Amino acid sequence: MKRFAFFPGCLIPARHPAMEFAIRHTLPRLGIEIVDLEGASCCPDPIYFKSKDKLSWLSVAARNLTLAEDLGLDIFTNCSGCTATLSETYHLLQDEALRARVNERLKRIGRQYRGTSRIRHIATLVRNEAGYDAVRESVTRPLEGLRVAIHYGCHLLKPSRIMQVDDPNNPSVLENLVTALGATPVRHRNWYLCCGKACQTDDIPANMMHDLLSTVNDERADILCMICPTCFGQFDHGQMKVAKRFGEDFHTAPIYYFQLLAFAQGVPYDKLGFERQRFKPECLLRFETAAAGSSPSESRTE
Amino acid sequence: MTEAAGDRGDLVRVNFDFRRELAEKIEGDLASFCYQCGACVGDCPAATYSDEFNPREIMLKVLYGLGEELLVKDSILWQCTNCYNCHERCPQEVKPVEVIISLKNMLADRGIYPDPVAKIIKTFEETGRTTPLNAAVDRQRKRFGLPPMSPVPMDEIRKLIEPQDSAREAAKE
Repeated sequence: MKRFAFFPGCLIPARHPAMEFAIRHTLPRLGIEIVDLEGASCCPDPIYFKSKDKLSWLSVAARNLTLAEDLGLDIFTNCSGCTATLSETYHLLQDEALRARVNERLKRIGRQYRGTSRIRHIATLVRNEAGYDAVRESVTRPLEGLRVAIHYGCHLLKPSRIMQVDDPNNPSVLENLVTALGATPVRHRNWYLCCGKACQTDDIPANMMHDLLSTVNDERADILCMICPTCFGQFDHGQMKVAKRFGEDFHTAPIYYFQLLAFAQGVPYDKLGFERQRFKPECLLRFETAAAGSSPSESRTE
Repeated sequence: MTEAAGDRGDLVRVNFDFRRELAEKIEGDLASFCYQCGACVGDCPAATYSDEFNPREIMLKVLYGLGEELLVKDSILWQCTNCYNCHERCPQEVKPVEVIISLKNMLADRGIYPDPVAKIIKTFEETGRTTPLNAAVDRQRKRFGLPPMSPVPMDEIRKLIEPQDSAREAAKE
């Protein structure tokens, strides 16, 4: 098993524990061992606290990275926002003068940032450390015929020089991860759009989400798959606002990729917390009855 | 405008104090490299969906030192979606989104935030997380077999985010 320090952030453990459950269930089945980080704080978020004071933001982020450095492990995140903060910190602190300023702050708590732990988003962790074949082999009920629209969101890919995840103009990691489940990835015309969460007005995100959901709908996608809890909130709770405002109910269920993976690995639908979503991925239920009819005893050995 | 502009109301005088203050913020000085090509505008979702927001114009105001137009309550800066497309597209590596965030740091220095932003910052400064914890959170976690979330060592976080060297003074004692 390859070992990585897990940085869960705030949103997933507090608001979406089903996502954390899915991560803890699926990664060991792909040969990845999760090592918990003691004493981690918010990354801090790249939108709000960063807008108060970048130097404080960098200092707290650097402290979080030193926790992984103490363990001698690379760190992985399950949220694109945490990925943005920690990756940008790693990038910016390659500058010696800035690193000295941040280490001056860290000295206050007896810590020092060294830059020895790299940051991986969980999607790329799976791609690079387990591989798509391992994902495919871990699936016990292939999601054949399921049309999965992909929402990359922004901070997984950009800025590409810092994130170094994929080609920001034509990425493939999420399509490949969905294909490995036996499902059909669907790229809709507005795939490049942002979820709009950070924008502090109502009109811009509402119009953007309306256009995005329209093109997802045009492709007759069953669900909208993503890897960021902030985007997820926008497309779940936020979709209700769009429906009200435009009088159009797309009823597109959002889903966090690792819950979909857990389901494909055989975790029952009702163990994955979907009942808490406003738009539920009930289209998955047909795979549950199909699997129950064919090979109920099939289980994977570790 | 100063009197020197006289009747020439169109004359722009660069406010260097504003630019110096911005340059002290991390990556705040990058706007100096902007040559106003507009590559940041085409892929900007906020510019696409708003008639008011335009990252090239914001960079121009920065170059002119027209800070007072940006450093206001309900500033246009808050329409930025933080999508990083401008960072991706800029041929000069200006990172317009980072300049915008540095400008927001200047807004913070003046104590001007939109209420939802202020609320999240306060939660972080008090708890070390942006999502407040309570018994309901731990109940939900338990349902999924997850342990309660551990508290953040706030003494460390507070020392780190103190702006000046008061923490260092305290450490000397």
